[in-house]
Amino acid sequence: MTEAVWWAVARSEEVSADKPLNVDLGDQPIVLWRDANGVVRALEDRCPHRRAPLSLGCILGSGAIQCGYHGWTYDGETGRLINIPNLKGERKYPPVYKAKPFGVHESGGFVRLCADVKAPPPADDGDALPLSGTATVALQHEQYVDALFDDPSLLISIKGVRFSPYLFAELTEQEGQLMLERSCQWASPHWPAPFSSEFPLSLRIASDAVTGETDLTLLDDEFNLLLHATLAPVPAARGVTQVRWRAVLSPERSGLQSKIMGVGTPLKVHENIDGAALRVLKPSASIHANDLREKIAARSAPQDEVA
Amino acid sequence: MLDIHEKPEPTTHDDPITSDPREFASRVNSWMPHDLMLIDAWFPLAHSFAVGKKPVRRAVYSQPFFLWREANGNVIAAETHPNDMLAATKSEYTDADGRYPVIEKYGYVWGWLGNPDNAAPEHIPSLPYLPEDGGLPLHMLGTVRFDCCAPLSLENLIDLTHADFIHADVVGDEKMDKETVEVFHDSETITMVRTCVNKSVAPIMKVFGGVRDDVQQVRQVIRIYLRSHAAIAYGRFSPGDNVQLFHPCVPETRDRTRLDYAMNTSNVKKTNPFRYMMPKASYKVSRQDSSMTSPQSPRYMQPEKRKDLHSPLDEAGQKYRVLMLSLAERQANGDYAYRDNVSADCSEIIGYDGK
Ligand code: FES
Ligand SMILES: [Fe+2]
Repeated sequence: MTEAVWWAVARSEEVSADKPLNVDLGDQPIVLWRDANGVVRALEDRCPHRRAPLSLGCILGSGAIQCGYHGWTYDGETGRLINIPNLKGERKYPPVYKAKPFGVHESGGFVRLCADVKAPPPADDGDALPLSGTATVALQHEQYVDALFDDPSLLISIKGVRFSPYLFAELTEQEGQLMLERSCQWASPHWPAPFSSEFPLSLRIASDAVTGETDLTLLDDEFNLLLHATLAPVPAARGVTQVRWRAVLSPERSGLQSKIMGVGTPLKVHENIDGAALRVLKPSASIHANDLREKIAARSAPQDEVA
Repeated sequence: MLDIHEKPEPTTHDDPITSDPREFASRVNSWMPHDLMLIDAWFPLAHSFAVGKKPVRRAVYSQPFFLWREANGNVIAAETHPNDMLAATKSEYTDADGRYPVIEKYGYVWGWLGNPDNAAPEHIPSLPYLPEDGGLPLHMLGTVRFDCCAPLSLENLIDLTHADFIHADVVGDEKMDKETVEVFHDSETITMVRTCVNKSVAPIMKVFGGVRDDVQQVRQVIRIYLRSHAAIAYGRFSPGDNVQLFHPCVPETRDRTRLDYAMNTSNVKKTNPFRYMMPKASYKVSRQDSSMTSPQSPRYMQPEKRKDLHSPLDEAGQKYRVLMLSLAERQANGDYAYRDNVSADCSEIIGYDGK
């Protein structure tokens, strides 16, 4: 995992000052919480005293995190040990007495982490989209993103919308993102997709080449926005992928079908994946995904080496 | 793993705990408890009451022990189940009939894992407050399991500051005026004495033990018999009743531990509910311990570049590591001898006065 990459490991509402939250970046467990000023803090979820998970501890009124095992207490920003309660009295601890801190950036209702504390923060996302959720999926991250390109219906549902097997535009690279545009139909009875002349809807999928963080844009055939969503799949332990998502339904939608989208939940991100269907899903849109990723990586690599 | 610089003299032996702080630290930090396998030791495999005509199965480092009683009441400890016709080849730990050395003492069936010729009753640990021929009532006995490797369980036990945090709802929190920790050891045992002045009263003593005060004076002793992975946990509370716990941690496998405990509360008045409730606290307390030692355990399976950090309160835990490693190192070099007598009465060491 590249150092200066920002991963959306939590939604803002999942991180509180009451109870630490355990998340993963691949095999690296991390604990998140809010300090006394509401700032999100992130440390390796491993107490350097006896390796217990800090997420089993508690958040003190001062905003520091206290390990639940022997009470060692750490500052969230630096990770430095600030207290061992059983050693009465004020003490100064040497700088090596610290837990590993992570860079944290909160915006648009997502909490993003970077393994490099000094990494420049990512661009702000603007306002948080109002609908949100978290799905934990037993599928590896890259497989998840590829399935999203090849058949989104295995991973998500959009109310009243049927994804067709046809694309308006195949996967290409645009400004460091992997983009495609899928033809969609309304879910009402209609002429089957293979025999349809027109498709009333299109779903644009634009994915970050490294993180797979994806913008979904559903447009009607007059280019009116119906739904906008961000899906942030993050690799977790044992090949599991945790997907945090946020979405908004456009307030102005004309036509009965698009109005019905507002009844109930317009977007669902599936926790359970149909393995039988996934197994026989032939790679199509994703076939060139890896080549494109490599191309993007090669373009940015030489600069990194100079730096 | 560790270097041996000189062959020890046959009669005098260096203290396994080196006085060189750097060497001590490097030993402490080379701790990989999953790699330890100490033999030539008695393990308390079962409460005596649990062994009857029908064989029960136990394990030490996955090595099978089948225990049952013959018609005359004698306990047999065998490597294979009597009905197992397909039994695999016999290990070097049993005699020609596939039997282990076995002894009954303190209300436990002790099985010897190691060279059968070296099995001797004097290697059974001294447990002053357990009656030698057993017979404690069943409500003082129980079994709990830890989802971790046995040395981690014992390292947990010997650092009692953990109790102030994970068992605060049972034994009280860390609030007190003063805490001192003293540590004694020989080549086979380590003993930690923790004295707390004006400590918050253990909630279990408030609720069930009839203690009305807010603070109490506490003296807790943990004494570990290293090879047997068995610990004495003795607490003196004033006001309050003394707690007399035998806490063996049998390494059934390298990542799972069995604790057949005996909490002798016969010192507590028959009318005091503490006598009946305290032994039951083990069910709660052991899960609290496991909540930490279970996630810890996989983190101690592989060599780790980053050293654990220590505080002055960790003296006992650090010495426990070094003593275990030094026994393992001696055994790796073919030296299985007991240099200290574990069966010598330890009442004085633990401060037990028979009351
Ligand atoms: S493991 Fe965290 S304080 Fe001991
Ligand atoms: Fe404990």
